[in-house]
Amino acid sequence: MTSKDGAATGGASTDAAPADGARATEDSATGARATGAPADGAAADGAPFLSVRDLRVRFRTEDGIVKAVDGLSFDVRRGSTLGIVGESGSGKSVANQAILGLHNPAVTDISGEILLEGEDLTTAGERRMQWLRGNKVAMIFQDPLTALSPYHTVGRQIGEPFRKHRGASRREARDRAIEMLGKVGIPNPRLRVDDYPHQFSGGMRQRAMIAMALVCDPDLLIADEPTTALDVTVQAQILDLLKELQQEFGSAIIMITHDLGVVSRVSDEVLVMYAGRAVERGSVREVLSRPQHPYTWGLLSSMPRITGDVGRPLVPIAGTPPSLLNPPPGCPFAPRCAFREEVAGPESCDTDRPALPQGRGCACHLTAAQQQTLFLERVLPRLA
Amino acid sequence: MLRFLLRRSLGAVVILLVISAVTFFLFYAIPRNPALLACGKGVCTDDQLAVVEHNLGIDEPIPVQYWHYMVGIFAGRDFPAGHCPAPCLGFSFRDNRPVLDTILDRLPTTVSLTIGGALVFLVLGLGFGMLAAWRRGSLLDRVVSSASLVLSSMQIYFLGPLALAVLVYGDHQIFPQPEYVPFTEQPLDWLKGLLLPWLVLATIFTANYTRMARATLIEQLHEDHVRTARAKGMSRATVFFRYAWRGSLIPIVTIFGVDLGSLFGGAMITEFTFTLPGLGRLAVESVTQSNLPMLMGVMLFAALMIVLFNIIVDACYALIDPRVRLA
Amino acid sequence: MSIRTLRGGRTTLASLALAGALVLSACSSGGGGGDGGASGGSGSGDSGGPETVEAFTFGDAAASTGPAEAVPDAQQGGTVRVFQQTAPDHLDPAQIYVAHESNIARLIHRGLTATRQDNDGHYSVLGDLATDSGTPSDGGKTWTYTLKDDIFFNDGTPITSADVRHTFERQFAPFITQGPTYIQQWLAGTNGADYRDLLPEGPYNGDHLPDSVLETPDEKTIVFHFSEPQNDLPYALSIPGYAIVSEAGDTQEDYDHDPLTSGPYQIEEFRPGRSMTLVRNEYWKPETDPARNAYPDSFEITFGHTLEDSTSRLMADNGENQYATSFDNGLDPGNGPTVMQDPQYQDRLVDGYQTYVWALMINTDRVTDIRVRQAIAYALPLNGILNAYGGSIGGTYAGGIISPLVPGYDPDYDPFGKLAHPEGDIEKARELLEEADAVGYELNYVNHTAPEDEDASIAVENALEDAGFEVNRSEVPPETWYDTIGVVDSGYDIYRSSWGHDWPSASTVIPPQFDGRQIADGASNYSHLRDDHVDQEIDRIRQIEDPAEAAAAWTELSHYIYEEDVPFVPAFYYRQTVLHGSHIGGAVFNDDYGTIDMNRLFVIQDDAG
Repeated sequence: MTSKDGAATGGASTDAAPADGARATEDSATGARATGAPADGAAADGAPFLSVRDLRVRFRTEDGIVKAVDGLSFDVRRGSTLGIVGESGSGKSVANQAILGLHNPAVTDISGEILLEGEDLTTAGERRMQWLRGNKVAMIFQDPLTALSPYHTVGRQIGEPFRKHRGASRREARDRAIEMLGKVGIPNPRLRVDDYPHQFSGGMRQRAMIAMALVCDPDLLIADEPTTALDVTVQAQILDLLKELQQEFGSAIIMITHDLGVVSRVSDEVLVMYAGRAVERGSVREVLSRPQHPYTWGLLSSMPRITGDVGRPLVPIAGTPPSLLNPPPGCPFAPRCAFREEVAGPESCDTDRPALPQGRGCACHLTAAQQQTLFLERVLPRLA
Repeated sequence: MLRFLLRRSLGAVVILLVISAVTFFLFYAIPRNPALLACGKGVCTDDQLAVVEHNLGIDEPIPVQYWHYMVGIFAGRDFPAGHCPAPCLGFSFRDNRPVLDTILDRLPTTVSLTIGGALVFLVLGLGFGMLAAWRRGSLLDRVVSSASLVLSSMQIYFLGPLALAVLVYGDHQIFPQPEYVPFTEQPLDWLKGLLLPWLVLATIFTANYTRMARATLIEQLHEDHVRTARAKGMSRATVFFRYAWRGSLIPIVTIFGVDLGSLFGGAMITEFTFTLPGLGRLAVESVTQSNLPMLMGVMLFAALMIVLFNIIVDACYALIDPRVRLA
Repeated sequence: MSIRTLRGGRTTLASLALAGALVLSACSSGGGGGDGGASGGSGSGDSGGPETVEAFTFGDAAASTGPAEAVPDAQQGGTVRVFQQTAPDHLDPAQIYVAHESNIARLIHRGLTATRQDNDGHYSVLGDLATDSGTPSDGGKTWTYTLKDDIFFNDGTPITSADVRHTFERQFAPFITQGPTYIQQWLAGTNGADYRDLLPEGPYNGDHLPDSVLETPDEKTIVFHFSEPQNDLPYALSIPGYAIVSEAGDTQEDYDHDPLTSGPYQIEEFRPGRSMTLVRNEYWKPETDPARNAYPDSFEITFGHTLEDSTSRLMADNGENQYATSFDNGLDPGNGPTVMQDPQYQDRLVDGYQTYVWALMINTDRVTDIRVRQAIAYALPLNGILNAYGGSIGGTYAGGIISPLVPGYDPDYDPFGKLAHPEGDIEKARELLEEADAVGYELNYVNHTAPEDEDASIAVENALEDAGFEVNRSEVPPETWYDTIGVVDSGYDIYRSSWGHDWPSASTVIPPQFDGRQIADGASNYSHLRDDHVDQEIDRIRQIEDPAEAAAAWTELSHYIYEEDVPFVPAFYYRQTVLHGSHIGGAVFNDDYGTIDMNRLFVIQDDAG
């Protein structure tokens, strides 16, 4: 794991002090030290840059209403990196596309608030959103092959938002594209600017994608699984590039991934999502070293560790995520939870929906003490 | 690009050779004696029949006949009944003319019908399709979609006579009598005479192209790179026309190439319905008159058109999609 | 129907009620006269079938002088549009034989003789380029013709006896394969294709017919010498296949594309399969032509019209279609009944017979028992057959093999009761089979695959099986039809033949089909009848010079053949009904052409008239 102490200077971290289980339990009990809570964040540089409150995204389908995101709240601070982790279908991509308003309004209902510097994006008009997209908020997609248009040159695609948002001429946009290609580490950018995406390698395409996202120097960069489609060595390069560019451009990043390794490498804070909701949040150190939610434990167990014993068996989480068409009334993870019998009155898992407190904490019926004991005694030995 | 076209052209020549061989052997394997058609019973003696057979070149084995046919295409041929200059697609003994003369005489009709009709159905079909895709789910979309579904299930042999009965032969004549007047002679009459055939031909194609354009556009709008364009802040129109439309062109050009190729080979039913002297009607007439050389020539010409348009389609792919161009 | 009013009161008309409420009005042969009183009402009636013909007269020099008798109310000028299905493949007269080519040729080509229908509906054979219909001598073995003055081809060269000689000599050239062969055979004294041995290369290598065969003593005179009497020569010379070709302008094979013309029109433009424009031939002198009125300035002929298309256009009678008609497109089966019944079309309709007679031929080599042949005759279902061809639009039931267009036709003739029982007499047929001890008799039946032929064949097959035959039916494609049944040893017992006469004389019906000395592969004696009495009668009747007397004799012979030999069973006479636009005047049916009389047409140029 990379130490993220330095990130605290960026003003994003919840807490400079390393969290431990006991402390976290206290926090969650009092709710006093919420991540990005006004009490704390406002002290640094006012309101959070992005604040999502009780976001609900519903798709109307032929089978019924899919509750893809169901009451999600989180904050992002200027210049910091939030990692959002979860399996496929947990709603992490859906939530972030909702920020940019990319869903088809004809079949999508969005409620809640998405406040970007105090402006509610859920009620913003299409023209306003077009102005924001690529300008204030940019996005990088998972598969750079399909996400780039095969019909236009890389340079044109990079320069396009620059022309639109900055009113640049064709020539200026091209120069800017060459500059950006250089910044993302494409050799001979002057020659490559007129290439088509299919003439680039996978890693180069993702670099070009990053160049395109950063061309207007956005305040927020949403990276949706930017490394999933790449091979491992390239993954690391891309992540390092993102970190570097973040320092240079000062953009905040939302890193969407299913890979805790990616989170540990780039994030300051972590939000774990399951079945359209956040189930745990905290600083990257808190969540990775003292995870509280059984789902997070499961994620850790199913992930290989570079420092771990190669002989350690990877344990996938049993079962499948619940249908988002008819989510169970209680804890959505309960059917897959190995520890539900530890809960005093396990039937509450099926009937009561546990709440995620503000700040560091998780949404679980286990008490904080149980969480700590169970992690230390039953989960941690297996991770070693 | 040049190499690409060269390669495709060579492939096309091979395909045409195969088609010509198959057609030739099929036709000449049919047990009917063209000599008897040329010189009926009681008119020619057996000796004369043999002379006629020799003149028609059908006294030789079929592979030899085929060889002569192929040579004729490049070098021309001499028949006792007349000279057939290269490219000689055969000689019609029924009216003692090179087949190609008749084909070229009929071609302007087919070309006029096809180009005019294609223009109408392309503009209308793609226009309606775009409109429906742009406002998908709207009332307009639903009206356009259902109308095109109904119309595309129609047939020209139903629509054509109906249009004639109502619009031309009805109590109040609305459209001019369909006929073919060469553009070079009377441009206005050319237009008037082809108006109804164009519209009838275009109606069914318009419906198909509307459906196709709508479907592919909607599919393209769901493509990742189109979403990327939106995420970059591109306007709806830019996204629609610069990104989604570009991707839709491939399937549209593919179908259009096939349609155009087969229409240039002869819009058989339309030409028949409106009594237009085109290649399609020539093909039918050749069949009913057992005019094998003519039929062979028309078939080969139609095959040439289809193959030619396939190459054009491939070239269009390269223009549209750099992955093809630079592969 | 224009022809009915034209003829009313002058001809002998006999009415005969048929199953389809169809009235067949017929003229008896043997020259006009008779009880005209009865004919008036029937002749101008509002419904009914086509007309039949009286004997032709042979015109003398006075009758053969132009101009042609004026058509009442005719107007000069204008353009007639003609909708045709099939374009002519041939323009060289020597290659012209089929109807759709002949009908156009009549406007552009002239022969030594021509037929003419006068204002009273009377037909005659007149001298066309010749001064009269011909002078026979030596009992009909020698015929002399003299050319008129002031006759030219459209290049301005006068027509001389050399052109006439050349015309007949080139008929023997190897490249002439599609035209009629009668006169060549008469000149060569043969009935087969070996006539070509008389002048194998034609006139192109300096060979000529000897004077003993064809003689041109001066620029104006032509003398034909035959070994047998050929009293039909005036008729034969009138068919377009024997129109005169210019010796100087003869381009051999190319003449077929671009011939010189001698008629009132010449070809301004011909697009094969598409259109043909006929304009006036300035060298044609109406004073020389007794047969063609040539009122319109031009004919605009377009090809490729289906029967549906031409009928729809003519029914609509709008725009240019008002000035249109067709020479060969009859009514289509879909619109036909409407047109026939709706009064609005009646005065734009001409109705008559085509030359063809549908008959089931019986191979007398194989079906040797006459009682079996009689059984077939009784069983044949005329109604089933005719229905397959469109019912009353397709034709009218036939009592004998002599068409209503041929002098000598007898409308009451019905030896097997077919007209009275068009559904066939199955009982009678079965009795005959039992009497011959031939129940279960196997018949090999071949038909061709055209839909109407197939439908008719099924009706025939069913009726024959009901009567007690075993029918083995097979099919061949239409193109090979006459080659299939023309083989003597074909192995088939019964098959259809639709024979048409070449000119209105049974001499082109009886001898080709029933002369027992002409049985060969490719010949037209499809029933293979060998009857010495028939052969002797053929030879005898051919000597008869008087057309009416000959007609009566042929009819009598046809009755003998049908009743005594039963080598065929006639089913119906093909009908032809042609519509024309409201601005077409002078439209009458021509029994010789078997369609509308194109030589009498004119354009009605203003509505006021």
